[in-house]
Amino acid sequence: MKRFDIVTLESPNRAPLRIEGFLFGEENSEGPSVAIIGAMSGDHINQLYVASGLVDYLRAKEEEGKIVGRIFVIPAVNAYALNMGEKNWPLDKTDLNMMFPGYAQGETTQRIAARLFETLKGYDYGVILEGRRDQGMCLPYVKLIQSGYEDLESVKDLGMSFIYYRPYDPIETAMLQYNWQLWATKAFSIVFGKNGAIDQGSCDEVHTAIVRFLSKRGILDFQVFEGHTSNVIDPNRITLIKASRAGIFISKVHSGSHIKKGEVLGVILDALSGEKREKMISPCEGIVTCQYAHPLIFQNSIAFRIASIELCCQIDPKSN
Amino acid sequence: MGVIEEVLTIELPVGENFRIQRCRYKGEKSTKRISVVSGIHGDELEGQYVCFLLGQWLRENPDKICGIIDIYPAINSLGIDSITRSVPFYDVDLNRTFPGSKNDFLPAQIADGVVNVMRGSDLAIDIHSSNVFLREIPQVRIAKSQEKVLVPLANLLNIDFVWVHDAVTVLESTFAHAMNTIGTKTLVVEMGVGMRLGKTYGHQLLDGLLNIMAHEGILDIEPLEVRFPIQSHVGEVAYLNAACPGLFVPDMDHCQIIEKGSVVGHIVSALSGEVLDEVIAPIGGMLFTIRAYPIVYEGSLLGRIFGKTSGDAQ
Repeated sequence: MKRFDIVTLESPNRAPLRIEGFLFGEENSEGPSVAIIGAMSGDHINQLYVASGLVDYLRAKEEEGKIVGRIFVIPAVNAYALNMGEKNWPLDKTDLNMMFPGYAQGETTQRIAARLFETLKGYDYGVILEGRRDQGMCLPYVKLIQSGYEDLESVKDLGMSFIYYRPYDPIETAMLQYNWQLWATKAFSIVFGKNGAIDQGSCDEVHTAIVRFLSKRGILDFQVFEGHTSNVIDPNRITLIKASRAGIFISKVHSGSHIKKGEVLGVILDALSGEKREKMISPCEGIVTCQYAHPLIFQNSIAFRIASIELCCQIDPKSN
Repeated sequence: MGVIEEVLTIELPVGENFRIQRCRYKGEKSTKRISVVSGIHGDELEGQYVCFLLGQWLRENPDKICGIIDIYPAINSLGIDSITRSVPFYDVDLNRTFPGSKNDFLPAQIADGVVNVMRGSDLAIDIHSSNVFLREIPQVRIAKSQEKVLVPLANLLNIDFVWVHDAVTVLESTFAHAMNTIGTKTLVVEMGVGMRLGKTYGHQLLDGLLNIMAHEGILDIEPLEVRFPIQSHVGEVAYLNAACPGLFVPDMDHCQIIEKGSVVGHIVSALSGEVLDEVIAPIGGMLFTIRAYPIVYEGSLLGRIFGKTSGDAQ
């Protein structure tokens, strides 16, 4: 294992920012290569945890001579934000994952992104560990955007239950996955966990999925159990259950629950009087893939996302 | 007297509604409609003052109103009242969320509500104040694809600079792009600095608004004599980025005409007392952006100069 700084950046007053990478396997290996990116935001603790756990795991596997290809892991891109409870770049609040492919002569986060992206070019596969950008907590899923250069088949080797395969939003053209794909890396994101906390079950699942991917893609010489046959779903297969009222949100199910039509999913209580404002009923049978994960809910917020084979209601292809 | 209405309400969890208010002034002679918008970013307050000035003028001149004038001083009302640029709770830039969706999270619902409320306006003026880091002269920024339609309108606004820039895909998520897409001619004004208020620029833009409304038949007044803005196509914009971290101390005033090679400022070390870098103008021209917040990292934007590569001042 080689551990080294990919990016260093001096600060006016803090210790320098260091983005560290961990390289496993021989640099001139002819085997396939993969880069794995951990926390890009300061609240992506699950992503940091999984990435650092992979570093520990791969160190042991390297000692056993099991690394065939080349694996590069970057556990934390935005350590400055992680170290102070910020989500974004602490000075100007820009989101590092909105700065790709970066610009070497541009502003600070554009420069960080440019230097990072320069080191990420040329890998066969790119794994981006992401958290939700809203208050949702979901079953771990793969997010694969349709840039025209995506590779659905390789993603199936993760063996995860759901691959969310959809067109990209304009805003995503500034994100790593889109740009990495354009530079011929088979990049995808794994979205999981509740931001700001550690969800051990989801983290274990993602860790196992990545090890399976490395094994099946010939990067790691190690046999693992088969995973799921992935369900590839588009926005039309997701039913959105919205809160018609705001208040205290009590969920009666959890992500991954198989629910029936008519089942009670949750209730919303008046935050002052305690009266029940809404009982949320499932309009269809399916799997709860995501649910709102904050105890206070806003009116019209998406409380639950239900994946189902049959189309049922509230279809909005713009929502993810 | 304008009619104050709540045009969008979204229930918040604990005994409060998120709301967007507008004040509508309606004449009888025309159905033309303009929306004057401020506060999409909660830390930008110059537009609030412009809204006040416009409302004050309209209250004093009700007989001059022909069309419909809608004033929206505070789109991101949660942000404005808490010195927060983004939408609080979600920490999302509202101006990267358009056109929004009813079925998405709060910022997207706000964006969707804003678009639907303003749908049908002939014109919209979206007033921004840069951010807390930069001070800007009054300017309008226009995507190249909208140049033919919007530059003639921008020239009526009594601003100093019209900046036509290349289309950037990410800007398709802005209010202006969403409104231009549905047929409302929308201009984005940038002026001043975040979290502060400058009276001069407010009055300057008020004259511009009155002028554009006179031209569009929304006000029954003679067009005003306004300044003709510098057009970006006659020159180029040079960016000044910090070469090192430190404390930026400007040596130039905002909006100054400077020569190539002039010292714009210095980056210094508060710890060692050293001067770390001298910030030199790469071209001559007008210093139309200057950094207002002194702490800088490598790459932090210190200023922008509009001028000619030959070094001649404009």
